[in-house]
Amino acid sequence: MIRKLFICFVLLFSSYISRAQENYSVSAIPKELMPYASAIVRKDETVVFIREKNNVIYRYKFAVTVLNKNGADEGELVLWHNKSRTIKNIKGMIYDEFGKPVSKISERDFRDDNYTPNSLFEDVKYKHFTPVSVSYPYTVEYEYELFSNQTFNLEHWYGVGSEATAVENSSFIVSCKPSLQLRYKEMNYKGTLITGKDDAGNDLYKWSISNFKAIRHEPYSPDKINYLPNVRLAVNNFTYEGVDGSYSNWNELGKWINDKLLTGRDELSAATVAKVKELTDGINDPKEKARKLYEYLQNKTRYISIQVGIGGYRPFKATEVDELSYGDCKGLVNYMHALLKAAGIQSWYCIVNGNTHKRPLQADFASPDQANHVILCLPFKSDTTWLECTSQHIPFGFLGDFTDDRTVLACTAEGGKLLKTPKYTADDNREIQKGEFTLAENGELTGTLETTFKGTQYENRDYLLLESYEDQQKYIRKAYPINNLEIAGLSLKATKEIKPSINETLQLKSYEYGTPENGRISFALNSVNRLSETPKEIRNRYTPIYINRGYTDEATISFTLPAGYHADSEPLNTTLTDNFGSYHADFSVVGNKLIYHRKLQLKDGSYSKEDYDKLVAFFEAVRNADYFDVVLAKNK
Amino acid sequence: MKRISYLTILFSLLLSATYASDFPFAAVANDALQQKKYLPDTGAHAVVLDEFGKTFISDDGNHMVMYYEYHVKIKLFDSQAFDAEGNIEIPLYKEDGERFETVRDIKAVTMFLDENGGLQTLELDPRKVFQTSVNKYHDVAKFAMPGLRKGCVIEYKYTVVSPFIFNFHDWIFQSDIPKVHSEYNARIPAIYNYNAILRGPLKLSTNKAELDRECLSVNGIKCDCSNMTYGIDNIPAFKREDYMTASKNFLSGIYFELSEYTNLSNGVRVKVTKDWQDIDRSLKGSEFFGSQIKRKELMRERIKDVIAGKTNNLDKAKAVYAFIQKNIKWNGFYSKYSEDGIKKALDTHSGLVGDINLALIAALKAADIPTDAVLLSTREHGLVNKLYPTESDFDYVIAKTTIDNKDYLLDATDPLLGFGMLPMRCINDQGRVISFEKPSYWMDIKSPQRRNKTTTLELSLMPNGKLKGTYTCYSLGYEGYEKRKEIKKFNTLDEYIENLDEKSTKIKILKSSVSNLDTLDAPLAEIYEIEIEPTRGTGMQRLSFSPFTFGQLTVNPFTLNERSYPVDMGMPADNKLVYTLTIPNDYVLETSPEPVAVALPLSCGRLVSAFTFDSGRCTYSQLYSFEKPVYSPEEYPYLKEFYNKLLQSEKAEIVIKKK
Repeated sequence: MIRKLFICFVLLFSSYISRAQENYSVSAIPKELMPYASAIVRKDETVVFIREKNNVIYRYKFAVTVLNKNGADEGELVLWHNKSRTIKNIKGMIYDEFGKPVSKISERDFRDDNYTPNSLFEDVKYKHFTPVSVSYPYTVEYEYELFSNQTFNLEHWYGVGSEATAVENSSFIVSCKPSLQLRYKEMNYKGTLITGKDDAGNDLYKWSISNFKAIRHEPYSPDKINYLPNVRLAVNNFTYEGVDGSYSNWNELGKWINDKLLTGRDELSAATVAKVKELTDGINDPKEKARKLYEYLQNKTRYISIQVGIGGYRPFKATEVDELSYGDCKGLVNYMHALLKAAGIQSWYCIVNGNTHKRPLQADFASPDQANHVILCLPFKSDTTWLECTSQHIPFGFLGDFTDDRTVLACTAEGGKLLKTPKYTADDNREIQKGEFTLAENGELTGTLETTFKGTQYENRDYLLLESYEDQQKYIRKAYPINNLEIAGLSLKATKEIKPSINETLQLKSYEYGTPENGRISFALNSVNRLSETPKEIRNRYTPIYINRGYTDEATISFTLPAGYHADSEPLNTTLTDNFGSYHADFSVVGNKLIYHRKLQLKDGSYSKEDYDKLVAFFEAVRNADYFDVVLAKNK
Repeated sequence: MKRISYLTILFSLLLSATYASDFPFAAVANDALQQKKYLPDTGAHAVVLDEFGKTFISDDGNHMVMYYEYHVKIKLFDSQAFDAEGNIEIPLYKEDGERFETVRDIKAVTMFLDENGGLQTLELDPRKVFQTSVNKYHDVAKFAMPGLRKGCVIEYKYTVVSPFIFNFHDWIFQSDIPKVHSEYNARIPAIYNYNAILRGPLKLSTNKAELDRECLSVNGIKCDCSNMTYGIDNIPAFKREDYMTASKNFLSGIYFELSEYTNLSNGVRVKVTKDWQDIDRSLKGSEFFGSQIKRKELMRERIKDVIAGKTNNLDKAKAVYAFIQKNIKWNGFYSKYSEDGIKKALDTHSGLVGDINLALIAALKAADIPTDAVLLSTREHGLVNKLYPTESDFDYVIAKTTIDNKDYLLDATDPLLGFGMLPMRCINDQGRVISFEKPSYWMDIKSPQRRNKTTTLELSLMPNGKLKGTYTCYSLGYEGYEKRKEIKKFNTLDEYIENLDEKSTKIKILKSSVSNLDTLDAPLAEIYEIEIEPTRGTGMQRLSFSPFTFGQLTVNPFTLNERSYPVDMGMPADNKLVYTLTIPNDYVLETSPEPVAVALPLSCGRLVSAFTFDSGRCTYSQLYSFEKPVYSPEEYPYLKEFYNKLLQSEKAEIVIKKK
């Protein structure tokens, strides 16, 4: 990235000042943008005026050519708004393939709804427009302005928003009052940033990209923000819900959140404080006290999403959660924090990006919009314990795959601290199976399969713990690819520790598991854990390989063979080792028993895209070995 | 003597007062709070202890309005029930800014026993009820029950006020959780006459009707009401199964349809629906149904160029059908009426089902092709009743056109559907043909199309162990429709082929040709020249091949021990595979697949496979078919076993060995 000083602001702003008729004909799209594209962004201009702390105007002009039905979503416009974020001057036009205007779009054509299926309430509404066109391609162009009265959260720029969309031109121009002190974070931006000042002395910035080809979906690819160009903004001096503040780093931001959003919201009623004392009375170990209070929280509360106030940053008071027995993540974390405080245990409110795809907060760029969830950190002397407060059944101290292994911000009275949540490694995330099966001459299989799930694989079964026995059986019948599976017994036992595990014991029976034919019986060696799908090949891959989370699966299955039969198969002995993982499968015959052993390990991390062919070949070889059929022949 | 009669009157009054009354609010028995399980269904996460609904019509001074009161008391056994039962959504219908439903008098409490066994009651804060707009036609009022904990009992009630008195509130007894008792009270003024119908397998335990004298006063005129009460005790939970149609078809409930009302200004009784003649007449006269179908002049103009040069009716009809498919985009809403007229739909290129298919009917009529409208009920909307004429059982309209004595059912909402094909949602029992020329009548809504796939592989073993040859696949009927949909997910045919090639690492596509992609009536043909890497067998001494190169069935989709509801596959299906492998002279056949022949009872399906070997050519063929669209629960074990046999037959392998 080269930084250029560019003084002439007239030129800088020329792209949005010029109102020349655009050429939206499809034939004007550069040919090299067509492959894998279902839509082409013809023009995407965003101009941001950060005039005051409480006065930001975003001006958007956006045109996209939808090439076929798959790209139709790109032509839709959904804008959320509320009392501190208003949308004005929406207009637009639909053009045909030749760039001829077909119909006008005005604000009247937008629906304005506010139902969100997963929230009890959000104080936002959604303006929504879907262009109607019966033939492809067509182009839709929008213009609108967004007025915001806060600067805590600023809009980002995604030069390229989605897969299968090519971008002809996209630019992001920011003008900011110098006293507010704009900061920005560029990622994957290969162009030139132009900076300057306008006549009034405002700081000017311009990012732009052009002719960016469409990216198609690639298996095992990293998070989009890690390979598509994007820019994030923040100002040091901001206002939020009428409260001013300033921060230039995580420490100051954490301090502000603590002082302005959290302080005073952790008071509890005398009765609840007494309840806390009663619950923890006689327990000395603070961690055991915390465990007890966490159980209390889990039994008492449930998660309900309510988003009120800009972006919903302030938790409900602990007393309110106490009364209602429900809250969103902020409310529940703050409530747990209050319970712990009443027991004299320190805990920190931590903002985090919750997603199974890990997205850590950027250490070198502080901004609140990077987080979307809150968890609680208990900084005990010897070890740090983490609590997810929105689940009624997750074990104490276990985070699962939603917030593991990433940088979070603890908001404390001493300021914000960047901390890392625990990582569950490939060795931690285990599924260990042991089977004792007997195969009869008629092909019937009987036996017991014991499976232990650990680490994030704990979550493969935890949802079943609370289900009725009938429903558990229904799920299990689909979980194993064993035909005619009859369940003679099933039990699931959870050990709810910080490193939890679930033991599943399955007594099963399957008639015609093996196929007897002409004195031979063939049967599938592995029907307890087999890889059914392999990633497809990708020619000219764009992204590096990214394995988000590693795991280890191991199975040892013993088959007692029917009397008078011996194995008459080619041997199975597959061993694969690569930097991203390893696999081994074999079987051996000891007396009347055939012992099958399988181990697959996949290691998390980033690997070069050149290794992708190897990854596909690896999975392909695993699948082949997993589908191995053994043949038994009658002794002569 | 006098005294006694007085008492009797008092008694009977009391009786009718206690009759069908709501249960008291927030009165909960201690044993309900202590209850740990619901014995008839120990796996239930929650049980409805009592449920009461009441609908009545009243004059609010300006209009007649319908009041629907709902009241329920639910025991929650564990936290699994909290979100499902504790987050309440009340759907509200709206037409425009003037006519919409409102909810009022929401009251809700959570009751539980504290540690000392004392009853605690938490009330819902009315400020925590939120009303949201879902779309043009629907609002939702939401609230979350406060203070939920294991073992608590929740109770809430509310009233919905509706101007839509023609849509008398239906009552569905059965839900996802079991119910101890559910009761519905419908009070219908004599100026209205509704047909009521009970559906589903459960029997009513309460079914009473009586007359309320002078229950309603309209413009000073008093009228009586029918006061009807329906109740069921011990209702089991409804458990969903895979491959089933709308659960509504199996849920027990009471449904109402307005048949007659008295015009209050002149006292004349107006039949809304009495018999089919009335419905026919009202539809034909309707501005947004019959009048649209009659817009021949408009359509004649629009289709002039479309049918120009076409000489026979079939070609004309196909051209018109394609024209409507391409020119009005379906906005996703079902309807039997046009919304703002077909002209607007044609001009804006957008419309609901009624707009599109009434335009189609009008266009076909304009081309002088005899066409009628067919009203039907979609699969998710449930089955239509045949007991008495009703219009509200239908939620969809399609066209039926007759060409050379052959009937075609047409739905132009999906541009990938071939002429004469219906989307799955429409294939549901029977529809009512609304003809301008004769009285309406019932007809079966069946897809004339089957799901039909024929695959041939013609391969030769090369000296390097690779297989080379041709893969051909013809997809007809629904199979073709689905394949086209799959191909259209890609921007170009080349991208589809590339993806296919990338998906199967062992198979290389050397040359490809796909035909009839846009000729919807013809079979979609895919012909690929392919090369397959050697997969099984070590060395070249002994080689084995599976005829199921492009995937085989590995898991039986039917896993239940027993089934309560029919398995609905929508339509019959045929699948045929012919695999030919030519082997070099220096190889001999070692193992060949065993022939299989299995049939479902009463020829409702069959599976046949065969193998022949003749001068170096191995030919394996497999054919299976399902002859019925719907299989009954009694047939389930056979279906399950049929799949089991199918799976086993697909393990077939051809093993050859060097001489």
